[in-house]
Amino acid sequence: MWAIIKKEVKTYFLSPIGYVFIGIFLLAFSISFNLELRYSSGIIDFQKIFVYIFTYLPTILVFAFLIPMLTMRSFSEERKNGTEQLLLTSPISITKIVIAKFISALIIVLIALLFTGIFIGITCFFGTPDIPAALVTLLGFILLCMAYVAFGIFASSLTENQIIAAMISIVTFVITWVLPEFISSGSNFSLINMFYKFTTGQIDIAYTITYLAFTVLCLILTITVMQRRKSAR
Amino acid sequence: MIEVKNVTKKYGNFTAVDDISFDVKDGEIVGLLGPNGAGKSTTMNMITGFIESTQGNIIVNGYDISKKPGRAKKQIGYMPEGVPSYQELTAKEFVKYMAELKLVNRKVLKDEVQNVIKQTGLEDVQNKLIKNLSRGYKQRVSMAGALVGNPDVLILDEPTVGLDPKQILEIRNLIKELGKRHTVILSSHILSEVSQICERVIIINKGKIVAIDTPENLETKTQNKNIIYVTVEDKNEKMLGIKEKVKDIETLEYIKDNEDGTKQYKIVSNAEVDLRKKLFDILPKEDITIFELKKAEVSLEDAFMKLIDDTQENKDKKECNIDKKNKQDNEKDKKEKLPKDSAENNEKKQKEGKNENLKKDSNEQNSKDIKEEKEGGEK
Repeated sequence: MWAIIKKEVKTYFLSPIGYVFIGIFLLAFSISFNLELRYSSGIIDFQKIFVYIFTYLPTILVFAFLIPMLTMRSFSEERKNGTEQLLLTSPISITKIVIAKFISALIIVLIALLFTGIFIGITCFFGTPDIPAALVTLLGFILLCMAYVAFGIFASSLTENQIIAAMISIVTFVITWVLPEFISSGSNFSLINMFYKFTTGQIDIAYTITYLAFTVLCLILTITVMQRRKSAR
Repeated sequence: MIEVKNVTKKYGNFTAVDDISFDVKDGEIVGLLGPNGAGKSTTMNMITGFIESTQGNIIVNGYDISKKPGRAKKQIGYMPEGVPSYQELTAKEFVKYMAELKLVNRKVLKDEVQNVIKQTGLEDVQNKLIKNLSRGYKQRVSMAGALVGNPDVLILDEPTVGLDPKQILEIRNLIKELGKRHTVILSSHILSEVSQICERVIIINKGKIVAIDTPENLETKTQNKNIIYVTVEDKNEKMLGIKEKVKDIETLEYIKDNEDGTKQYKIVSNAEVDLRKKLFDILPKEDITIFELKKAEVSLEDAFMKLIDDTQENKDKKECNIDKKNKQDNEKDKKEKLPKDSAENNEKKQKEGKNENLKKDSNEQNSKDIKEEKEGGEK
């Protein structure tokens, strides 16, 4: 399993995807940070600024496009190139393969997230940020990422076309994002809305469990798809 | 040791592999032969556990591939058709990754990778990206991926496709070498290759096993006539008269004139009779000089074609019968239908009772049409 993670992470950086992901990710956060500094009315709230940049619309929007870009190739490409045959005839079980793919995509997200530490550093230099709130926000963000990455990988296992895999994830993300605007009960299904709770600095147990459950569900679905394809191939 | 027991693979209504059973002993090289779409790759994919069989068991070195996939897969090195590999890795990285996937012990991993790279002749290109390698080298990289970890069983799907003659020879020798220590199953449609490398051949057609035997046995089994080609200088035109003098000759056939004035003949006799000695005795006595005399070898190719044709013929016959029946039915229908139609037309027109000429014309037109249609049908 470790071998697959190592190779996957390496491949992300052998192709432009890894760099593009981290680059756009940081660009979006930097723009948010900049806007926050520039247009905040009157006094800059150094205590909350780190949390605010996570709640910016462009951040979320870009994010909904970035994760699909990251996960679209994970199984689709293997299937298209036939390397799936090598992977699935190795002694490593399908469950481990799926988990390895999930972890390696998550590692890229975490690497990108690591760079946002710069913002904490800057706010620390100029003021006293609310560190616990910032950490809870990060936790919530990681949980959200896990859920999205797992879904992205599931989408990728459905098709050998990367673009279709990406479209499936993007459409799903956008729907879950705008749903609360139209249906009042939609917020129960909106993973992004749940994330806003974390930005207040509280760890919501119910939402945490929802995120984790969603992640596990997507991974199990992926494993099922892969296993079923074995007899349908 | 591989045991394949009553394995069937169905895709909906289509049966790709139909109840096949065979086993491969340790250290044996077995060739899977068959035309395109016969089920070779499907069979191999089932043995490697890439696809699941609809029915039946496959046991690799004592481990059932569907019950203990991890253990069973560890015994197998697989080189899939079309040699898929990770294009963005270098040859060495790829082999190393395959070794890791096969759970090769970390202590010996580096040496193992180097060994395999050496064995497959990849030393010069090991640090090049796979996407920049030529087809032959890609093939070797894939081969290296199958070999690494020293698995007991090697499954090679068309290992020499797309190679140049020198590379083919090298790969063949490598496979022969490997056959001493590994159990090898390979598929191919190059028959000479199979007869050279393999100890046993399994011929598959339309998902069914047609024959399992050694290449030699297959050749002799399917041979029913003894054919000798003889090139002679025959000034007195006596050659065709030989047939009367040697009873065992079934047919004696003139084939061609050569530029140097010699002629080639084909002599056919029963499979049990070898005429070569007799010909050497009798021809000089008739003042015929032998320039060349050779026995036509029945190749595996002939055997293959015969076996495939046999199964094909049976099927074709059935289809043919059905076709004939259909045709007859159609013609019958037509014959019954056409007069009826024209009769109806006539009645209609008589009822109208006007424009007799026009009626005639149209009737003529009708019968013309009918004639044409009939001709078309016959054509």
